[in-house]
Amino acid sequence: MVLKTLDVLGPLHGYGIARRIEQISGDLLAVNQGTLYPVLLKLEQEGAIASEWGASENNRRARFYRLTREGRKQLQVETQDWEQTAAIIARFFEVKTEDLP
Amino acid sequence: MRALRRFLNRVINLARRREQDERLREEIEEHIALQATENLRTGLSPVEARRQAMLKFGGVEAMKQDYRAERGLLFIENLLGDLRNAGRTIRRMPGLAAVIIVSLAIGIGVNTTIFSWIQMILFQPLPGVSGASNFLLVEPRTETGGYPGASWLEYRALRTQVPALRDIVAFQVVPFNVGETGQTERTFGQLVSGNYFSALGLKPAIGRFIRPEEAERPGTEPVIVISYDFWQTRFGGAPGVVGQKLRVNERDLIVIGVAPREFQGTMLPLKFELWAPATLAPALLGGTRDLEDRSIRAFSLIGMLRAGATREEAQAELSTAMAQLARDYPEASAGIGGEILPFWSAPRGPQRMLISGLAILQGVMLLLLLAVCGNTANLMLARGSTRQREMAVRVALGAGRWRIVSLVLSENMLLALLGTSLGAAIAVWGTMALRVAPMIGAFPIRFQTRVDELTLSLAILLGAACGLIFSAAPAVHLARLDPQDGLRSSSNTPPRSRARKVLMGVEVGLAMVVLIAAALFLQSFRSARQTDPRFRPEGVLLAAYDLSGRNPDEASEREFAARLLERLRSLPDVEAAAIATNVPLDLHGIPARSFTVQGRVRTEAGQDITISNTVTPGYFKVMAIPLLEGNDFAEMGDRAAPAQAIVNEEFVRLYLNGADAIGRRLQTSEGSFAIIGVARNAVYNAFGEPAQPAVYFSYRDLPAIQGEIHLRTRGGNETALTSEARAVLRDLDPMLPLYDVRTFSQHIERNLYLRRIPARMFVVLGPLLLGLAAIGIYAVVSYAVARRTREIGVRLAFGATSGRVVLQIIRENLGAITWGTAIGWALALVISVRAITKGVINLPVFIGVPAILLGVATLACWIPARRASRIDPMAALRHE
Repeated sequence: MVLKTLDVLGPLHGYGIARRIEQISGDLLAVNQGTLYPVLLKLEQEGAIASEWGASENNRRARFYRLTREGRKQLQVETQDWEQTAAIIARFFEVKTEDLP
Repeated sequence: MRALRRFLNRVINLARRREQDERLREEIEEHIALQATENLRTGLSPVEARRQAMLKFGGVEAMKQDYRAERGLLFIENLLGDLRNAGRTIRRMPGLAAVIIVSLAIGIGVNTTIFSWIQMILFQPLPGVSGASNFLLVEPRTETGGYPGASWLEYRALRTQVPALRDIVAFQVVPFNVGETGQTERTFGQLVSGNYFSALGLKPAIGRFIRPEEAERPGTEPVIVISYDFWQTRFGGAPGVVGQKLRVNERDLIVIGVAPREFQGTMLPLKFELWAPATLAPALLGGTRDLEDRSIRAFSLIGMLRAGATREEAQAELSTAMAQLARDYPEASAGIGGEILPFWSAPRGPQRMLISGLAILQGVMLLLLLAVCGNTANLMLARGSTRQREMAVRVALGAGRWRIVSLVLSENMLLALLGTSLGAAIAVWGTMALRVAPMIGAFPIRFQTRVDELTLSLAILLGAACGLIFSAAPAVHLARLDPQDGLRSSSNTPPRSRARKVLMGVEVGLAMVVLIAAALFLQSFRSARQTDPRFRPEGVLLAAYDLSGRNPDEASEREFAARLLERLRSLPDVEAAAIATNVPLDLHGIPARSFTVQGRVRTEAGQDITISNTVTPGYFKVMAIPLLEGNDFAEMGDRAAPAQAIVNEEFVRLYLNGADAIGRRLQTSEGSFAIIGVARNAVYNAFGEPAQPAVYFSYRDLPAIQGEIHLRTRGGNETALTSEARAVLRDLDPMLPLYDVRTFSQHIERNLYLRRIPARMFVVLGPLLLGLAAIGIYAVVSYAVARRTREIGVRLAFGATSGRVVLQIIRENLGAITWGTAIGWALALVISVRAITKGVINLPVFIGVPAILLGVATLACWIPARRASRIDPMAALRHE
C-alpha cells in the first residue's frame, strides 16, 4: 500500500502516506498511524524507497519518501502476485455448488 | 539480496543510533503537528486537536521499540547494554568481584604458566632453533632397555644409513676449563659434529660456524664457537672477538663465531657456553679415544625428518643400520638396536623428568580451576538469589527469558574476562620468573619460556569456559523465576538452596581430590629424600679436580691421586678420604659398561651391562658402604697385586646366581680383573630405583684424568674442610683449581631440584585451594543465613538458645559438605590405589586431609552461623 501510494502521488512524507491510506480505505483501515514508521524504515533498509529531508506544507522540516527503481520493480512484482492471488480467490467465490461436475 | 542489504544497513545503523533516534523523534513531531493542524481545521480547540492527533498516532514508546528493532541489530544493542549494566553491577559489589577475579586469575595464570612450560619442552625444545619440535632423537638401545648413547664411529655410519632423516647431528656434553693456567673457570660446552649448526638452521650473531671439514678428521683446526652470553660477559660484546684466542683445557682455540642470543645448546634446559668440533676431543679431553673406540658411547644424536618421510621409515632404516653394525662389530655393538624418540622424551638430560612432573601438575591445576569455577558459580548463585526481585521486575516488565540469561551471562563473562586478563598478566610474570637462571649442580640452566599465541589462546579458552561454567547455574535459576513469586516473596523466605548446596559439595569434593593429590605428591617427594640411599651422605664433602691440559700419562695420574690422598688423610679433621670418577645421584647418571664374567654363559646374543665406578681404596669407608665379603682394594702404591674389581650384591644375584664371587675373573674392554670383594647394594642414579648391578674398579688399575674427592669429616662440619682441601691441592699443584666443592647433602639437593619445583607449587597452592573452598562455603552459608534472619529471630524469640541455632545451621550445611568430601575422598582413593601408589594407601594423608578440610569447612559455617545467632530477635522480626 505504501509503495502504491508513493507510486501514485510521488514523494510524500509520513503523515501524507498515512492520510492517503486512510482516505483510500475510506477510514476502514484506521490503525495507529505510528505503526507506519517501522514499515517505512524496513522498506527503506531494503532499498525499495529512499528518503530525504524537505519542507512540509507548513514549512517545517519533514522527511520525504520516494519510490526507488527497485521499489518500482518490487511493486510490479507484488501487484502481479496480488492480482493473481485475488483472481484465484475470486474464482473460489464465484464457483457455486451446482457448477461442479 | 534484499535481506542482505537490510542486514548491512542494520550494521551501519548500529553506529548511528543517536542520530537515528533524533530523526525519528523529529518525524513524529512533524507527523503530530500536521495532524493537529488538520484537526484544527475541523474546528477543534488547539489542545484537543493535539490530543486527538496523538491518540491517532498511537503508543509512541511501543512504536519506537518496533522501530529500533527494525533499524538495528537488537541482539548486539542488547549485548552492549548488558555489558554496560554488568559493569555497573560489578562496580556495586567490589569485594565479591575482587574475590572472583583474583581467584580466577590465579587459576588461569597458574595453568597458563605450566602450559607455557610444557609447550616449551614439547614444541620449543631447542631455544633459538625454528621448527625444533621436528627434531627426533636417534638412540641406540640395549636389550635391557637402556640408552647408552652413540659412539662417534656409529654416528658416522648412521649419518648415511638413515636417509629418512635429513641431517643427523651428534653432540657430547663436556666440561671445559676456560682461561689461563691457574685462573681457569669451569663452564660447559658441547663437542659437536661438523653439520651441527647448519642442520639446526642457525645463523651466527657474528663470525661463522664450524665448517663440516673442520670436524672430519682428528687434529683439525682448533676452532670454537661461543655463546652470546659468553661473548657479552667475557668479551664485553666486542665485535673483534672473532679470531681471538681462547684458552680451553690448556689449548689455544680460535674463536670463529658467536651463536645467536637465544641458542643455548641441544639439551634442555641446560645452558652451554662453548661449541667445539668433535674432532678436537682427543686434544681437549686428554687423549680420549672417543673418536675411534666403538665402545665409548658418548654422543647423542638428533635429526629432522626429510620432507615426506615418516617416523616409521626412519625407525625401520635405523633398525637395519644398527643390525648391520651389530654384525660388523659384534664386540661393541652386539645386541644394540636403535630407537627413534621424540625430543622431549630424551633418556639423558632432565626433559623427561620435567615433563612428567609438569603433566601431573597441569592436571591438578585444571582441577583447581574447576574448583574456582564451582566457587564462583556458588557466589553468583548466592548473589543471584538476592537479586530475584530485580529479575522478577525485569520479567514483569516484559524481558524475555533469553534477555535474563544474557544479562547474567554478560555479567559473568565480564568477570571471566577481567579474571583472564589478570591471569594472563600473572602468566607473563610467572614465565618471566621461570627464566631466571638457577643452577643444577655446576650446570647453568635456562628456561626460555614465554607467553605466545598458543598459551594466550589457552588462557582465553580457559577463561571463556570458566565464564560459561559458572554462569550456567545462576542463569538457569534466574530465568526459571516466576515473576509473581519473585515479586511477592520478600527476602525472608528461605531460598531454594539445593543447587547451591550441591555446588558446595562438588567444590569441596574437588578440593578434596586436589589436596590429597598434593599431599601424596609432597609425601612421595619427602619420602624420596628420606629413603635410605644405603650409603651415608652426611658428613661428606665433595670436590673435583681435573688434570686435563696437563696431558698426564697414567702413571702421573695415579701418582697425583696417591699423593693427594696421602695429604688429605693426614689432615686432623679427615676421618677417611677417597677419590672416585663418579658420584652417585648425579643428574647425568653413572655410566654403564659391558663385561663378561667367569662362570656366566649368556644364552642369548648380546652383552651384560653394569654400572661402573672407579674408586680408590677407602671409598667404601667414606661412603659407609659395608663390604659383605672380601677386602678393600690394594693400596695405590701396590705394584704387585693383579687388577682388581669389587661387585655388589645385585651383581652376584643377577649374573652369578648368588654363587661365590670372590676370585672369579671379570673381563671388560680395558682388561681382566679379579673380583676381590662384594659390597652392599646402594642407590646409584635415583632414589627409589630398583636394585642395580654395579662394579667398582680400582683407581690404581684405571687411573683417570679427573676425580671427585670424597672426604669424610671426623665429626663436626664437613664444609669446614673446604679451605684445608684447597690448601692441600695448592701445595701439590699451585695452578690446579678445586671446583664444584659441595657437601654430599647439597649434591643430593641439586639432584632433586627439578622435582622440587612442582613440590613447592603444591605447597603454595594447597592452602590457597583450602582458602578458596572456605570462602565458597562461607559465602553460601552467610547468604543463606542472611535470608533467614526472620526465621532465626522467631526461633530465638521462642526461646531457642543461640547455641542450638548455630548447631542447626552447621548441621544443615555440613551435610552437603560431608557428601562432597566423601565422594572426593573415594575418588582420590581409587586414583591413588590404581595409579599412583599401586595398592598402598597412605593412611596419614587419607585421614589427615579430610580432617583438615572438614575442620576448615566447619569453621567457615560456624562464623556466619554465630553471627546470625547473635542477632536481637526484636530487630530481626522488625527486619524489612
